[in-house]
Amino acid sequence: MDRFRYLNDWEEEILAFKRATDGRCVSRRAFCAGLAALGLSPLVATMQPVDAKEPDIVLVNWGGDSVKAMDQAYVQPFLEANPGEGIKIDSSGATSGKIKAMVEAGRVVWDMCDRAFHASLQLGREGLLEEIDYSVVDKSKVLPGFAGRWGVANYCFANVLTYDTRAFGGRKPESWADFWNIKDFPGRRTLRRHIDSTLEVALLADGVPIDKIYPIDVKRAFDKVKQIKDHVTFWSSHADSYKLLRDGEVTMGCLAHTRSVTLRRDTNGAIDFTFNQGIFWVSGWIVPKGNPAGKRVWKMIASTQDPAGQIELLKLMGNGPVNPAANALITPDLAAINPSSPENLKRMVVADMEWYAANSNTVLNQFIDNVLS
Amino acid sequence: MIAGSRQTRAFLLFLTPSLVFLTVLFAYPVGKVLLVSVTDPELGLQNYRLLIENAALRRVFLTTVRIAGLTTLIAVAVGYVLAYRMHTAGERELRLIIFCLMFPLWTSVLVRAFSWVTLLQSNGIVNGILIGTGLTERPIQLVRNEIGVLIGMVHVMIPYATLPIYAVMKGIDARLPQAARSLGASSLQTFVRIFFPLTLPGIGAAMILVFITSIGFYVTPIVLGGGKVVMIAEYISVQITETLRWGLGAMLATVLLAIVLLFVFAFRRLTVLREQGA
Repeated sequence: MDRFRYLNDWEEEILAFKRATDGRCVSRRAFCAGLAALGLSPLVATMQPVDAKEPDIVLVNWGGDSVKAMDQAYVQPFLEANPGEGIKIDSSGATSGKIKAMVEAGRVVWDMCDRAFHASLQLGREGLLEEIDYSVVDKSKVLPGFAGRWGVANYCFANVLTYDTRAFGGRKPESWADFWNIKDFPGRRTLRRHIDSTLEVALLADGVPIDKIYPIDVKRAFDKVKQIKDHVTFWSSHADSYKLLRDGEVTMGCLAHTRSVTLRRDTNGAIDFTFNQGIFWVSGWIVPKGNPAGKRVWKMIASTQDPAGQIELLKLMGNGPVNPAANALITPDLAAINPSSPENLKRMVVADMEWYAANSNTVLNQFIDNVLS
Repeated sequence: MIAGSRQTRAFLLFLTPSLVFLTVLFAYPVGKVLLVSVTDPELGLQNYRLLIENAALRRVFLTTVRIAGLTTLIAVAVGYVLAYRMHTAGERELRLIIFCLMFPLWTSVLVRAFSWVTLLQSNGIVNGILIGTGLTERPIQLVRNEIGVLIGMVHVMIPYATLPIYAVMKGIDARLPQAARSLGASSLQTFVRIFFPLTLPGIGAAMILVFITSIGFYVTPIVLGGGKVVMIAEYISVQITETLRWGLGAMLATVLLAIVLLFVFAFRRLTVLREQGA
């Protein structure tokens, strides 16, 4: 089991880089775009099956385990309820760049994309997204604050303090202040190579109270990160964050809780984590403007609001439900690893989507400029 | 004459598909990228001005050039030794070296980067040997930093450095070193004064090839650099896919392309001049 998880991670890693190095492997879509550019698309068009029905709804996610998990949790229940429909999962990852390119070129091939919730505000304000149709999608089935104009929550996760219990002679780190305390908790650290969560945990370590994080004091956060920079390896992919702790390269890290749960299981508890002072994030569905399946997509998105599917996703991936009704239905051991369970959520910082929508582009560049390079 | 022009025509005919292909799928999109660098967010040279005003951008460029430069020096030095060994090797050994040289080329850069992490990390094999033999007491940080990036990049670039040098060595008239020896030069003198100067074109070709490839490295620095080595390719990717500053990204891509073209052009000038001289 452990082994499979590990292999899946590598696979995910390779997929992630295939995405990043587009030019090196030509996808079918790129090939078709090439044909189109050469004026050869009529040839391809004639090769479509004669009885072609309405186009499948294309669901875009980030690959790896999430393809199978979303298929099981969201797609199959929808297809059972709607026999005439078809859904395709595209695991290539809906980056802002690709959505902008698609919408501006008028060749949108995606219907619903899994993205960090604040991207819905950024891209929506740039006019790149459809507005969520709340006559079909149900606002009451979403955590307060996450039924947005251009995006609606689909699952949640948290970035949490994760540590090697063998490294500190029986002591347990409990806060980000401990994370910054190299003397009493020796060893290397890992933080995400991004501003998401990294800035928040820096401020928490610097003594900012949990409810005073936003608006983020960027300079203060940068200075705090710079303080331990020499002890930090920054991770860029989830698989990498897992590997750093699993291989003992670091003794503490800020990881997505899904990986922390896996680490705890795979090491029989030698690596542990706490939701205390974690950063709570929500991912959402967004729909690129002019999506090919049109209004049919809303029915599918509404169907993913069913608590059963969301709990299934929690079982398979560790990503928590965003429909509050799910809490009444989950078992205690699942609730313990679920970020949106009330006892976990109340100990965490809920990431401020408006702050990220307004500042993330600028601050990310500043972070690369001033902290990483 | 007529035969000649017919040949030329046939030649052009054969060339047409690839020319069309290149124009449509390469020149046109690249041209559009260049255009974006002066039109986004508005018409003008503001993106290029950033190159002067923004110290961080210059730092990223400097890091890139420094790492690519060091990679070039190390890879070409190692490549030269390897090529010399190939030049003097018997047929069976030569086949073995070529196999060892080519095999990594068929392996994904990503897989190789992660293999290096496994080998070089603090509880990896390399540090195990260093500690076991008493060369060091505590593990040395060999990866997740600039040293790691250099090791990974040099490894990728060694075949590119070796092959051009080997090709030039193979073309050297074997009688020249013999003549030097027969005239009383020591083997060291023969190497320094006869053989080495004759291999300079190969060194030049290898350096250019390695440098222009290294300057665009993306995967290796991300995996082996521990997040703290930012090279230009990654910076561009962030601008294009994440922060949507396409103008800035396109400007950096254009500058990168210009640097590469400059090196290719300089190299061609050098070889043309030498051929004319010879």
